[in-house]
Amino acid sequence: MGDSFEYAIKKDVRNNPIVREIDRDRQRELWRSVAVGVFLVVVLLFSAWQHFELLQHGYRLEQLQKQRAEEDEINRHLRLEIEVLKSPARIERMATGQLHMVPPGPDDAAVIERVVPVQPPPRSVVAQR
Amino acid sequence: MAEKPAIAWRTILKRRIAIIAGALLLWSAAIEARLVVLQVFRNAELSARAERQQSRTLTSPAKRGEILDRRGHVLAYSVDAESIVGFPTEIADAAATVKSLCGALECARDERDDLMERLSRRRSFAYVRRQVSPEQARKVAALQLEGIGFLKENRRYYPNKDLAAHLLGYVGIDNAGLAGIESTYDNLIKGKPGTVLIQTDAKRHAFSRVEKPPTSGASLELTIDENLQHIVERELKAGVEENRADGASALVLDPWTGEILALANYPTFNPNAYRLARDDARRNRAIQDLYEPGSTFKVVTASAALEQHIVTPDDLIDTRGGNIRFGSDVIHDTHDYGVLSFTEVIVKSSNVGAIKVGLKLGPERLGEYVRRFGFGRRTSPDFPSETPGIVWDPSKLKERALARVSMGYQVGVTPLQMATAVSSVANGGELVQPRVVRAVIKDGRRVPVPRKVVGRTINTNVAAELTTIMEQVVEKGTGKGARLAGYTVAGKTGTASQIVNGHYSTTDYNASFVGFVPSRKPVFTIIVVMDAPHAKGHTGGVASAPVFQRIADAALRYYGVGPTLNPPPPLLVTRRDDGVHEQPTSGPADPLAIVAAGPATSDASVVPELTGLSARDALRVLGRLGISTQLHGTGIVIDQRPTAGTAIESGLTATVWLGRQPAARNESATP
Repeated sequence: MGDSFEYAIKKDVRNNPIVREIDRDRQRELWRSVAVGVFLVVVLLFSAWQHFELLQHGYRLEQLQKQRAEEDEINRHLRLEIEVLKSPARIERMATGQLHMVPPGPDDAAVIERVVPVQPPPRSVVAQR
Repeated sequence: MAEKPAIAWRTILKRRIAIIAGALLLWSAAIEARLVVLQVFRNAELSARAERQQSRTLTSPAKRGEILDRRGHVLAYSVDAESIVGFPTEIADAAATVKSLCGALECARDERDDLMERLSRRRSFAYVRRQVSPEQARKVAALQLEGIGFLKENRRYYPNKDLAAHLLGYVGIDNAGLAGIESTYDNLIKGKPGTVLIQTDAKRHAFSRVEKPPTSGASLELTIDENLQHIVERELKAGVEENRADGASALVLDPWTGEILALANYPTFNPNAYRLARDDARRNRAIQDLYEPGSTFKVVTASAALEQHIVTPDDLIDTRGGNIRFGSDVIHDTHDYGVLSFTEVIVKSSNVGAIKVGLKLGPERLGEYVRRFGFGRRTSPDFPSETPGIVWDPSKLKERALARVSMGYQVGVTPLQMATAVSSVANGGELVQPRVVRAVIKDGRRVPVPRKVVGRTINTNVAAELTTIMEQVVEKGTGKGARLAGYTVAGKTGTASQIVNGHYSTTDYNASFVGFVPSRKPVFTIIVVMDAPHAKGHTGGVASAPVFQRIADAALRYYGVGPTLNPPPPLLVTRRDDGVHEQPTSGPADPLAIVAAGPATSDASVVPELTGLSARDALRVLGRLGISTQLHGTGIVIDQRPTAGTAIESGLTATVWLGRQPAARNESATP
């Protein structure tokens, strides 16, 4: 038994000259299978890529929304600060205290009235005259 | 025999494969079993846990609408503020945490103890301090304490601090209006909170959100003018301090529209820190405090008497003796005026004269006019906390009570009611509902609140007669303190003893002055009510009229209302080309104006030197000489034609060139 096994291993089978005939149908089938496989893998990869991109954009969007909310809030705080600075009491305190301004007297103000030109009469009225 | 080893090898291989396959089968069966347990039997529980871990639903608070003055200046505004919160179950050492927090927040002893108690309880959530300043939030964040976090909340700010505090009111810590406009229009202003569903990953980082945004509240445009409000508050405070009064109220109304342009009380408070204010300071005296109006109420008696033809302004009334008796009750005048015309009764504020007219009028007719002028009921829906006032049922009004009502006692009114009543005299007899909300702005749409006429109080002739009488009160009567150079003022003083411990006091009085200005074409109705002035005098003419005068003076100047007494010649400004057939354009780079002057008020015979004067001063100088003027440019006067010293001829037109600094004239602009 041992000898026959050794023979089976050591026997030199010279099959190099044998050229197998190409089976066109099977080869087409193979390529089709490979193409289908590649397509499925690509679809799978694309789907995964999309999923991860969506996640990444979700994070980014979340971050941007947070930033926007923060900027909006800063804007609101700045507007509040402007309103505080525009307070009449504060302006009056600065005007009288730092700039030594005084309320205007009766002679310091003149009422200037703008003359509003009268519209010309309609052409029909002018024509009748 | 030779086949045996091969069989053994295959058997071993088969056995091993069977073992591996069996193991795989068991392994997959175990997985399947576990999946069934997780996905079928524990589905609900695990789904809920996943939901909790992967998504958070937050309530996003709605911003309260803004409150603006009539010129769009912000009076109340909301911004985000951090609230510091604790999660007691996550805090290992509550004492150390409280110590650190109080180091940053500067807690009082009570607050420290309270905080210790709250953080020691095994609860999942507790507030540490709400709506802290950004600096305090930064300090606490820097401590990086376990179990301490932050929560964003809305906080209401009043940028002008105590300006119009009583009118605006304030909001509580939970963003609900508690007083004033904030409370009255809370449903409109507060908006609707939104929700945000946030999905998070294993590290609790958000990657997706579904948001139902909050609906911001509507903004309110008030009738108040921020600058005028400041003027009134400034003068009222000065008046209280000068007179050492316990308090005061002042109101400025537009008599034609009923718009409240300013409403001030003293003492006042800062609504940003309303908890620190005394109750007395938070009270809106102008709408909540009832007072006996005293002689200002004679306006009502006089209106009724004139319209019912009980008297005419010139009818004589005997006030000799200076007192009138009703049983044991004697009512005095300040002097024995003798025989007075009805006009003089009002001008000198004779109680005896007013009582005699009131008695002739009778309770029914006087009661009818009290009702017509709006006393005894709320005047405005903008003030639900307004006191309706106290008036008597005319059918139960005995002679003595009628006498007292005729001179403004035994009736309770608010300053707002009195100002509204006098406004109806100012506008010719229409009782216009006072209001403080001018428009509601929601979703970018401004909906104005219309003027509302409640009814007619008196006819226009009586209003005109009464205006003339009230002008004389200021010109030569008890209200001289309200005289205003250049303007006619109509007004009435009022002084009434306060009731202290059930008796009329001889030391504490309500001193008031109510009037309108300019009296023939009123722009403002103003009332000033002083509570117990103790310094200069206790009468309305001494304590309140000067405050009225100062408010009116500043208000007229601020509104650009020209003098009505001996007004200077008007300076009429128009474009030189008159442009009657042209559409207005964006305006030339070199503005041009012709100023047509009125008659000359100066006897100068030559053109003066104008160089260096402002355009306004040059116009004034030339206007007084009766010279019409053409202006070129902007800035100060750098050149003029005719030159200084040229004789003035009738109909002369001067040309003035203006510039920022002395420079050569642009010849191309020369006419």
